Formats: sequence, C-alpha cells, structure tokens
Amino acid sequence: MPAFAALRQFPSSDPTSETIVAVTPRKTRLRSDSDAAIGSPLRKSPRLCKEGTPHSSPTASIRKCLKTSLNLSGSPQKKQLSEDFVERQNWNPRVDETQRRAANEALHVSTAQMNVVCRENEQNRILDFCKKCIKEEKAGSLYVCGCPGTGKTLSMEKVKVMLADWENEECIQYPDVLPINCTSLANMNDIFSKIIEKNHSGKKRSRSTSSLQQLQNLYSQQTPGMKMILVIADELDYLITRDRAVLHDLFMLTTLPFSKCILLGVANAIDLADRLQDESVLLVLEYLFLICRTTLETLIVACFHPKVVSSLQSKPMVITFCAYSKDQIINILQERLRAVPYTVFQPQALELCARKVAAASGDMRKALAVCRSAIEILIGDSMLSSLDGPEDQHKPAENVSMSNQVRIDHVAAALSKVYKSPVVDTIISLPQHQQIILCSAVKLFRGGKKKDTTLGELNKYYVDVCKSTSIPPVGILELSSMCRVLDDQGILKLGQSRDDKLRRVTLKVDGADIVFALQGVRFFRNCLQ
Amino acid sequence: MAETQQMKKFKTPSKGTPKAKHPISIDHHIAPQTPQSATPSAINLRRSHRLTAAFPEHRPAISSFNTHQSAAKTRKIFENPPLVLPTEISITPASPPPVESRKKRKFHEKSAEKSKDSRNVKYKHAADRKVKKKVYYKKVVYDGGEFSAGHDVYVKRRSDASSDDEDPEVEECRVCFKPAGRRVLIECDDCLNGFHLKCLKPPLKAVPDGDWVCCYCVARKNGEVMEFPEPQAGKKRARTAREKLLSSDLWAARIESLWKEVDGTYWFRARWYIIPEETAVGRQPHNLRRELYRTNDFADVEMESIIRHCFVMSPREFANAADGGDDVFLCEYEYEVQWHSFKRIAEIDNNENDGERVVDNDADWNSCDEFDSGSDFDSEEEAAYEDKKRNRLSQLSSLRPVAANSRKGQIFGLQKIGAKKIPENLRSRKQTDLEKAKSTLLLATLPKSLPCRDREMIEITTFIKGAICDEQCLGRCLYVHGVPGTGKTMSVLAVMRNLKSEVDAGSIRPYCFVEINGLKLASPENIYSVIYEGLTGHRVGWKKALNLLNARFSDENKCRKDTRPCILLIDELDLLVTRNQAVLYNILDWPTRPNSKLIVIGIANTMDLPEKLLPRISSRMGIQRLCFGPYNFQQLQEIISSRLKGIDAFEKVAIEFASRKVAAVSGDARRALEICRRAAEFLQNRKVMAGMADVEAAIKEMFQAPHIQLAMAVSSFCANNGETFPGYDTLLKVGCKLGECRLLLCESGTRHKLQKLQLNYPNDDVTFALKDSKELPWLAKYI
Repeated sequence: MPAFAALRQFPSSDPTSETIVAVTPRKTRLRSDSDAAIGSPLRKSPRLCKEGTPHSSPTASIRKCLKTSLNLSGSPQKKQLSEDFVERQNWNPRVDETQRRAANEALHVSTAQMNVVCRENEQNRILDFCKKCIKEEKAGSLYVCGCPGTGKTLSMEKVKVMLADWENEECIQYPDVLPINCTSLANMNDIFSKIIEKNHSGKKRSRSTSSLQQLQNLYSQQTPGMKMILVIADELDYLITRDRAVLHDLFMLTTLPFSKCILLGVANAIDLADRLQDESVLLVLEYLFLICRTTLETLIVACFHPKVVSSLQSKPMVITFCAYSKDQIINILQERLRAVPYTVFQPQALELCARKVAAASGDMRKALAVCRSAIEILIGDSMLSSLDGPEDQHKPAENVSMSNQVRIDHVAAALSKVYKSPVVDTIISLPQHQQIILCSAVKLFRGGKKKDTTLGELNKYYVDVCKSTSIPPVGILELSSMCRVLDDQGILKLGQSRDDKLRRVTLKVDGADIVFALQGVRFFRNCLQ
Repeated sequence: MAETQQMKKFKTPSKGTPKAKHPISIDHHIAPQTPQSATPSAINLRRSHRLTAAFPEHRPAISSFNTHQSAAKTRKIFENPPLVLPTEISITPASPPPVESRKKRKFHEKSAEKSKDSRNVKYKHAADRKVKKKVYYKKVVYDGGEFSAGHDVYVKRRSDASSDDEDPEVEECRVCFKPAGRRVLIECDDCLNGFHLKCLKPPLKAVPDGDWVCCYCVARKNGEVMEFPEPQAGKKRARTAREKLLSSDLWAARIESLWKEVDGTYWFRARWYIIPEETAVGRQPHNLRRELYRTNDFADVEMESIIRHCFVMSPREFANAADGGDDVFLCEYEYEVQWHSFKRIAEIDNNENDGERVVDNDADWNSCDEFDSGSDFDSEEEAAYEDKKRNRLSQLSSLRPVAANSRKGQIFGLQKIGAKKIPENLRSRKQTDLEKAKSTLLLATLPKSLPCRDREMIEITTFIKGAICDEQCLGRCLYVHGVPGTGKTMSVLAVMRNLKSEVDAGSIRPYCFVEINGLKLASPENIYSVIYEGLTGHRVGWKKALNLLNARFSDENKCRKDTRPCILLIDELDLLVTRNQAVLYNILDWPTRPNSKLIVIGIANTMDLPEKLLPRISSRMGIQRLCFGPYNFQQLQEIISSRLKGIDAFEKVAIEFASRKVAAVSGDARRALEICRRAAEFLQNRKVMAGMADVEAAIKEMFQAPHIQLAMAVSSFCANNGETFPGYDTLLKVGCKLGECRLLLCESGTRHKLQKLQLNYPNDDVTFALKDSKELPWLAKYI
C-alpha cells in the first residue's frame, strides 16, 4: 500500500491538500535530485530550444548516429553508455514528430527485437536441447516457465531463427516447426489434429480414429523417413482440463518409442512439470491396475514395468526464466533505445524505472509502458511550459537538449500511474453517503473482534451514524446498491447470498486508510473518535 | 430446390413477349418503334418474367420505356402520373446539369450541406407565401418509366459517357453474339455471361443440375489463358447495364423520395448502393457476383440521370427470383461509409427482434458442428437458398462448404406492418417549455454538449489520435472504468463522433470502428464472430472467426498496406471474463503483435478488474487507465442546466437541490436526470416552473425504500380493524398479505396459528412509517 505509506509521512488536516501532498513532495524531491545531477535549472523556453538545437536536421543527426553506432559496435557495453549520452543530443520530440514516433516505436511491445539481450543463457540451453534432439532424432520435451513479461515467447522466436541458421550450416533436415498459442485453440483436442496435419499433410486422414490415436499409432511403430516435428506450445497451462488428459497425452507423445516430436511448452506456472509428472505416474498405475486387475503384489511388480519407469523418466527438462533484475531491464531498455539515434532518457531516469519495475514484478512490458508514458508526460509538460515559460530565456544552450530528455520526475510520474494505489483518492471522491457507509464499517470492525458482517448489521450502524448527525438515511435497498458500487471499486467485498440482508460484507482496504482519507472532514472525525 | 435452380439456369425461349401481351403500352407512345424492340424473339424472358412477378402494374410503362430507350434519346414523353397534378412538359428535352463523377458530387454535397439549411428555410418562406414550392410525389412517370419511392434504379455515372446510351435490352450469347432467340441461354455462375448450349465446347445437351461454370472461367482458374471470342469487326459488343454497374461504370441507387423543383425539373433523393469492390475491404470470397451493399450515403440527383429500373432484393427474395432477369441484385448488408463497417439490413429493420434472434443463431452456432449446420432450417425455401448459396461459394472459392452468411434472409413476423411512423406534420404542435424539458431530460436524448468530462475526453482523443495518426499505428489498449452513470460510454462515443468529422475533413486517416457491448453477447466467445462480422461483413462461427482474426492481427509476413487501423470498443468488459480468461487474453494479446494496428478500448465499472485478472493478461493490458469518478453536485447541476438551456421550466434552486441529493448518494447523472424529469411530470397540469416541492416529491419517490411506502399503504388497509378485534381468520389473512409483500417473513406451511413470523425490516422503519398515520392516532402510543 504505497499510497498510504507515503501519506503517513505527511499528516495534515485538509483532505484535499493531502492528496496533493501525497504525490508532490516525492515529485519535487526527485526533481531536485535530477537537478543536482545535471547541475542547472531545468525550465527553458521553447524558442530557445529551437535556437539551441540548430543541427537537429535529420541528415546531421543521422550522420552522427551512424558515427556513434560505429563507435559503439566495437566497444564493450559499459563504456558505451557514457559516450552515448555525450554524443547524441538532438532529441527534441516537440519540434520533430518523427523523433517521438521513432522512440515510441522502439519502446513498443510489438517491436520484435532480433537480438534479445539478457536471455542468452536460457536461449542457448533451449537451443542445445533442440540440437541434441534433432541430431539424435530422438523425441524430447522441454518446459519453459517464468513470470509474464520475461521474454519467454520472444526467446522462442529467437531460438526458432537460430535453429534454422544452424540447420542451414549443418545441412541437416529442418524439422517441421509448429508454433501454437494454446489460447487460440477452440477445443483442447485440436492440438493433436494440428500436429497430425503438420506431420503428414499430404496423406489422407481417416475419420474413424481420433487424431490422438493416430499420433500414438504413428509414433509407436517405426516409419522410415518421417520428419522431426518441433511443437512450440505457448501458454501451455490452457491445456489443463479437469482430468489433465490433454496435457498428459501431449507429454506422453514424446515418450513413445519412435516418437519424432520435440515439445517445447511455455507457461507461467513453475510447477506444471512436477504436477504433470505426479499425474502421469498415477495415471499409468491406474491404467495398469485396470488392465491386470492385480493384487497389491503385482502392483509393486508393475512399478518396475517399463512403461512406469519411462513415465518416471519422462519428466520434461525445465528452464526457468527469472524475473528481470534491475541491470537487465536497464540493459534491454538501452538496447531498444539504440535503435533511435537520439538520447531520449537520462540514465538516472532509466535506472529509476528499472529499479521500480524490478522491485515490483520484473515485467518487461510494464517497464516499456512506463517509458512510453514518461515520454508522453514529457511532451505534455513541454507543451505546458511552452505556454508559460518564455521569461527565462537566458539559459546556456547545452541545457536545452538536456532538458528535452526524459528526466527522473517524468518517469516517477509515469511510475506513480502504475504502482500508486488509488485508494485514498478514490475514497475522498466518493459521494457522502458512501463515505458514511465506510465510516460505519470502520466503526464496526474497530477493535479487531470481527472481520466481516452482514448487510443488515451494517445498515444498523449506518442508520446510527446518520441519526447521530441528523442526516436522513437512505433505505436498505439503496444501501445495498451503494455497497455494490463500492464492491465494484474494490473497497468493500460483498459475499453471495440469496437474501440481500444476509450478504457478508468485508472491507478490502485497510481501515487506517479510510480513517486517514476521511479525517479531514470534521463530521467524520467526530464519528470515528 | 433443383427446380428453382434449373429455372435460374434457363434463359428459356420466350413464350410470348410482354409487348405482344400488352399492345396497349405501345399505343401510349408517340415514339416510333425501333426495329429491335419490334422483334419479339429478342425479348429475354428472364427479365419479362421478373417484371410480371414483381411489378405487374409497371409492366406497360417499363416495356414502353424499353422501346423508347433504344430510340434516339431526344424525345421525352411525360405521362401524367396518376397521383399528381397533370404536369405537361414540352417535348424539348430539359437540359439536365451534367451528373458529375461521384467523388465530385460528394464533395459538392458536403460543401452544399451548409447552404442546404438556408435553402430549406427559403422553401419554407416560399410555402408561407403560397408561391411555387417543391412538390413531392409518390410516383412519377419520367422518360417512359414509372418511378416511385422505394424503387431501385441505375443511375448514370458520367453525363458524357456515350456508352450509357447503348443499353442492350437483350443479352447476347457470349460466343456467337446472337440473342437468345428460341434457344436456351445458360448463365455461368462465375462471370455471369450467357451462352447458347450449342456454342459451348463441348456443346451441352441439357442444362446441367447444380452450379455451372463456363469453360473460360474454368480455364482461368487453372491458370491458362483462354480469351473470349472477339466479336466480328465493326460490331462492338454492347455491355449490359448490369455489367456496367459491376465494373463501376454505373451507379445503383434506391429512390427515397421524389419531388419537382421550383424550376420544373424532377429530382429524387438517392440512397446509393455500392459494389463490393468499392468497399474498404474490397471483394471478398464470400461475396456473390450479384451482391451489392446498401450505404448510408444519400444524395439529391436529377431524374434525368436515371437509366432504368433494377431490382435489389433481400436474400430471400433473391433466392426465389432465380429466373428474375439480368437486373436482379442481392443486398444483404448495409455498409456504413464513415466507419467502413457492415450491418445486416434485417437487423436494422427489425431491431427489437434482434436480441432473441441472435441468441437463437448463436445457440445453433455453438451446438452444432459446422458441417451439419444446414440441417435445421425452418422451411424448405431457406434450405434451398442455403444450399444454392453454398454451392456457389464452393465454386467461387476454396472455402469450406458452409456458407458464411448462411443464416440470412429470414423474415420475421409482421413488424413492418402497422408500425407506421407518425408523420411530422401531425406532431408539429408547438411544444410547451415543460414538454421540451421533459423530452430533453430523457436519458435517450443525445445532449448537444457534454460538460464536465472535458479532461477525460481530451485524454481519450489524444490516446486514439496518438495511435492512428502514426504511420506504423502501434497497437494500444485503454481501460476506462468508473461507477455507472458517469458518462463513460457517452464520452468515448462523443470522441469517436468528433474524430469521424475529422476523418471526413481528411485530416486523419480513415479507420474502422467496431463497437461491442459485452451484455449483448450470448456468450463471451461470440465476440470473435461479432468482431469479424464488423470488420468484413461476413458472419462465421466463433471458432472460425478466432482463427481468421488471429491470422489477420498477427500476419507479419504479408505486409498489407491496405489494412486500416481498427478501433475496438468493448463496453462492459468484465463480462468477457471466462473461467480461463482465454477470450480476454486473445483480445488483449492482439495489440501486442507486430503490425496488428488494433486499438482496444475497454469500459467497465470495476476499478480493479486488471488486478483481478491473471497476471499474464494484466501484463498485456498495459498501464493506460482512465477513471471516471462520480459527479459532484456542481457537475450534476451543470449537466442538467446545460440540457435545459433555453427552456424555462425549472427553478435554479430545484436543480441544485436535486443534484445535491444525487451527488450525496451516488453521483449518477442518469438518476439526477430522472429525478428532474419526474419532477416535471408532477407539475403536469400547473402552469408554473418546477420548484423544490416537486423535486422533493420525485426524490421521495425514488429514494424512499419501497417498504416504507408499502407500510403506509398497508396501514390504511388495516385501519378498519381499529378497535374491534376481527378474529383469527382475518388476522391470518392480513398476515399472509404482509408476508406476500415481504414486510413480514412468514414461515411457509399450513400450520396457521403456529406459523412463525418475523419482521423483515428494522423496527425503526416501521415506527417511522406508522408514526404519522392519521387514521390510527392511537397506534403511535404503542410504538
């Protein structure tokens, strides 16, 4: 609850001023930080900026960028950065629309990067696995897991390309590649029919047996000249059905004696492979049990049955994509920004963004979104300052281009859009009666005796509060509809019940937050005391 | 079915020409008969059949028109229309202003639009002074043809095109260039050319069953070059009007209204049809050769530019008009010119039936496999139509055998009868201020201005513009949330309207806009087919639509320059959350693909929807959020007074009172408007402005819980029980009544006396309700 934590440091009496305080002191502090870093005032006039960047013509900048990129390509990365920021300084999004566009494109999620940095290790492991499988003509399965936005799908694309290159060099028959996003499957079993279509598209398909059976038949007997098939299944956990049959069958395909299927599964859940293995052992045992109708003894013998053993060995190899660390995020952002021939971000700004995102989730998509919205904030800012800032014209020219960069405060504002909890602001902007409801709920839960209550109970308290201040209370139906609105906003939680009066009510935000938000109004202060 | 198809195939030799049948029509005419029209064998029965079927009353007029047309176009005969005053016009042809090419005309339309108002005003003045004015007609006989509102006509595209004059009435064989004569002409289903059975190689003995494609088309499909035989030197092959229309040398239009201008020229208001090639998506595989789209684009055109009738039909009519002639077209969708989106005409026409029908359809789509979806047709006719369309499709493209728009062409009930619009002049009584106030306060009324949401609207505008103005058009996603009644949907739509005018002005690239309400979907998955239908005008099942959309939004190999950016507005986004949230995942994943050009705007009430979703989805959703907070009382006041601007019906205090009341409870603008409207209804008969008391009464009605009102009502019911004890049976009855009203909670059962009772509402409420009852003053004592 970052908002509240911030607020606690600045207690004050007026609610409206508080919300502003909650945001602004950090902002000003950051601004002063960045000021210190640059060592000069930041505000500047728009006119100056035009005069100050006389060589913002595209040709000049392109030439420069070419030079820098040539320089950069040789030198190691750490060194580049400082040079980078010294050399290219023509970024001025206000004057040049194309610059803004280029930066935006470079930072967009969909811009596919061919050189995925920071994931070389994982990529190489996947690639080695594929190479090994292809060389030995052996089936195998690999499971890639990791949090959202850690470059799993992107790495898979990259691996695909690298694999193609490798096969061209080695002159090995390129396996069929079948990328599937499991969310786009209408029916889970479609995955098998897709595989079989890919596998032998020319031959006729018999309609009597299911695709799965066909595949199983195909892979359990030797067919010479069959090509390897590389299945890349994204969002693999969508295949989990109630009995997990599809997922299990899919992995079991790779364990069949003459299987030619290399399965690369991608998903978020870290323990999917383990779960799968447990399941598979159970399933196989169950299967054997049914077939043999055995006693326990034979069951124990059955545990050494080759099928069980193979399924125990069949646990797919797991590669985990960890959440990006701060340094990795900085690295990736810089790599992306290298496509733009201007210095867009101050290094500190990038670092702030990276640190924050890394601390929260390590989600690269978030980091990119923050950067893009920081650019938008910068543009909006400079629009404003161009309206009211012509008085300080006497500024050194070199600051002009500096001040056009995205500074720490811009990034901080963008970050606050993402990570700041809006609870206090929301509560302050609520209508009066809804505030009274929250107030009575806080009173009800005070003392920590109860954690939840019913709507009827809440109504009683609410009527009491209203009576004590001679505000006409609204009826219980209205109250329940207001509670539903609060539920929508994520402040209350309403349970399910057939009877309106018996619905359970719980507070979803901290009571202290509500007290803090409402303490500015004397009416509520009296209530809550 | 086979019969109808054969009918269609045959261009059977004429059993008798219309002319022979109706010699009267010729008598009507001063124009000399041309040799062409005199040869009876030249008349193609297809067309005549069509005429007898659809417009029996027009038969003479049109056939005479035909004769006339082939004659030199110098003479014009004006017959007196039966419904209007006789207007004899001199034989000298009125020189019509040249009909410009369409773009030009459109441009003029636009520039003239402003002046149109003033022109109308002028006419009104003229009407006042009882001088010349526009005269509207129901039916006009012009140039030999009889036209009335609702007819479809060919319209000239250029004034100077000489080719417009040569309008062969008779379709010739494509090989021997001789008219059908007594022999059978067979029509190719692909190129629509007619062929004699004998002229074909190899010659056909009989008309084949099913669809038939000529050898030329077959050759073309196989990649060979096989030219049609050239006509003999000196004889130019005349193209029919149908051919010209389909190669966009003519227009087709629907006559909306007809009138005579002050200067004596006849004009009509045309609603344009366009051919599939002229739409944004171009001709698609599912389009039939004879398919047209109705547009929502109108223009005033002089009747001089009409060539003759054509017949644009709904799918069902089209299916029955198999031997309808050459000028028969199919129109199933309306094409919105601004949005480049398609709507089914049937849906526009009977909107109220829409909901349930879609549900039915969707149920079918879900339940049955695509291969056997044709099996459950209601009537045979539909099945026939269905099969035919399917057959055609299978030849036109290598699509799967199920036709896309397979469930079309149904006719529903009798809605079109009886629900006639009340003409404007009957309602033109001047409204009082109060009535005006009531009508503007209706929720359905579109306000002229949208106050208090400027900041949000600017944000939405910059969001959309930032997305679509760029060349690369990066995909984006915006989540709009806020409590009900705070103008979320309205603001987004207002922004879209503003942007539309900018598109019209040409400052923004055109884009597609698809609007979807999550509540209107039968199941979340259906959103795929709705999106696909909105983008292409082609309805398919959701599974197929999902595949097609996936291909469309992720295709990076084919660099399709022509795709427009697409804006997807999804209202009530939270209803799309399924158990595994795959639908939301797919929709939010498309914008992150390269070259998707998709912008998603989601609207919902819940503030924390992204947090409730799976992390992989909220990660794709991005960080763009826009919150619509509840209105405070100043804003509500401004909204109401801006709606009531210029209408003197409410006291200022009353408005403030209402808005303060609403702002204290919910900040819902809809509710504030409803209270004011109710207040206006209260003072219906009094000739004063609405004041505090009325608003108070309206608020009471709205906010006071019904049980209090009920208790008051019931108390009067009990009043006669006053002093004497009525006995158990009455008590039981009263108890049951109270139980039915849910004032009391009664135990169910038949134990009568032993039934347990419980008060459903807090004691205070009951006390409050019974405190002031006048009939039972003694009741208060007990309480």
